[in-house]
Amino acid sequence: MSENGRTATEAEADDASLIARSRHEPEVFAEVFRRYAPQIKRYVTRRLGPDAAEDVVADTFLLAFRQRDRYDLSQPNARPWLYGIATNRIGRHRRGEVRMLRALARTGADPVTESFTDRSDERVSAGAVSRRLADALASLPSSHRDALLLVAWGGFGYADAAQALGVPIGTVRSRLNRARTKLRKELGGVDPTSISEEVLHG
Amino acid sequence: MDEMTQLSLLRAEVPEPDPSDLRAEERRLMAAITGTARSAAPLRSRRRVFVRLGVAGGLAAAAVAAGVAVSVGSGPGSPQSPVVLPSAVAPAAVTRTLDRAAEAALHQPELHPRQGQFLVFRSQEMEEVDSGSDRGATRYLTNTRRTVWKPVAGLDTKGVLEEEVLPPTALPGSPLPPEAREGLGEHGPDRLAESDGRADHLRNDYAYTSRLPTDTEGMRQHLYIGLQNDPGKTIAAWQRVGGLLTEAYLPAAQRAALFRAAATIPGVEAVASAKDAVGREGAAVALTDTEGTRQEYIFDRRTHAYLGARTVVVDAAAAGLPKGTVTEATAQLGVQVSDTAPAIKEN
Repeated sequence: MSENGRTATEAEADDASLIARSRHEPEVFAEVFRRYAPQIKRYVTRRLGPDAAEDVVADTFLLAFRQRDRYDLSQPNARPWLYGIATNRIGRHRRGEVRMLRALARTGADPVTESFTDRSDERVSAGAVSRRLADALASLPSSHRDALLLVAWGGFGYADAAQALGVPIGTVRSRLNRARTKLRKELGGVDPTSISEEVLHG
Repeated sequence: MDEMTQLSLLRAEVPEPDPSDLRAEERRLMAAITGTARSAAPLRSRRRVFVRLGVAGGLAAAAVAAGVAVSVGSGPGSPQSPVVLPSAVAPAAVTRTLDRAAEAALHQPELHPRQGQFLVFRSQEMEEVDSGSDRGATRYLTNTRRTVWKPVAGLDTKGVLEEEVLPPTALPGSPLPPEAREGLGEHGPDRLAESDGRADHLRNDYAYTSRLPTDTEGMRQHLYIGLQNDPGKTIAAWQRVGGLLTEAYLPAAQRAALFRAAATIPGVEAVASAKDAVGREGAAVALTDTEGTRQEYIFDRRTHAYLGARTVVVDAAAAGLPKGTVTEATAQLGVQVSDTAPAIKEN
């Protein structure tokens, strides 16, 4: 690696400097993929299931790569930017997302997670809380669902979520408040700790 | 458990994929990258990229061509990839408190739970509920006395919870909403968790904690697993310390290592006096987060045993609450071994 005058410490470089370098050395963008593709794939899979997730994640990084010239280098952390692009691509699958949430709400069987549930010998169908949550998520405006899930599943704070979605922080806050109110209403009367999983022997 | 916690458990069983599960996406990106390289880069480097990709293929090769050090096949924080993590010399009062806690841990009688048994934790906790309706903030604090039976090995879904919901606490400026008084009294026995999708390195069952490193540096690496590129890594590592102290039991050696590792996290400060969720007073060590609150771990001054945790507002503007407001507290009241757990009320 010394032929290029670079050192191992660059693996620790912040995202902005990697992206800056990738503008004249495109291969460097591979490191951005390595850093973020696993978590973004998990996030998208939770929303859309594994099949659509593959397309969305591939598109996300292709688009990010093509838009790297427009990246704001004053932002050291590219995570909001990448989740923003991913959220945008998820929007193209809105109908599928809602369809699968409704299926989970109706039947307790989740098309999104069915290929991941081999953790034990038991096939566990979703409890009442999951089904009600799915119902509430399905009925939210998609912009509210985007904000809510960036926070709940992406671990985003309000500021980063605002950056990812390209909206003011106050907008994120009010979307989140309304989404949470909706969820609470849907869960109302359910004591979450008393809901037990139904075990299907199959 | 509030609705955000419940939501965070939904589909939590979806795992983070291995690099091998990302090959299709990687291939598409690499095609674009090499396409760009071929058309934009000078001939010499273009051929170099192309040849190396041809030999090894994939990301690792591209990274080699680009001169970026990528550790393939070893996860962040794993022993094969020692990473340089921020470390700090803590203030003397911090080191003193945590060293004494470590020493005390080594001299306390140990539990030796066996596979198939349960660890029974008694604790009390106070946590914030933000019912944030459109009419305005209705934040308040719930108080709960908990008894938890956690299996010695395995997931929290096999654990049992009995709790007593105590009267709520109001936050400054927010009168208690009517729903704050709903559900007071005893609940359970219930399943401890409906699902447990925690990453392996966040587990705190005894089978896992008893295999953690017993040296300071090893424990430090454990606290930072997966956080190398995370801007919030310091507070995240600090919170993981709490994860191993709350309704969790570590053998003496691991517990001592945990306290010593905690002292190496940058920015930790001493707090002369703090009270846990049941009002027991002690000396604390703390780290301030970016939300205007200070996250404290409290120790008994005489026995040096860990008492509990507390979160206090230090920056009113950032937290949206007056300075000094306690927004969260726990108290670890006891742990013992049991052969059995109460039967869960199925309904």
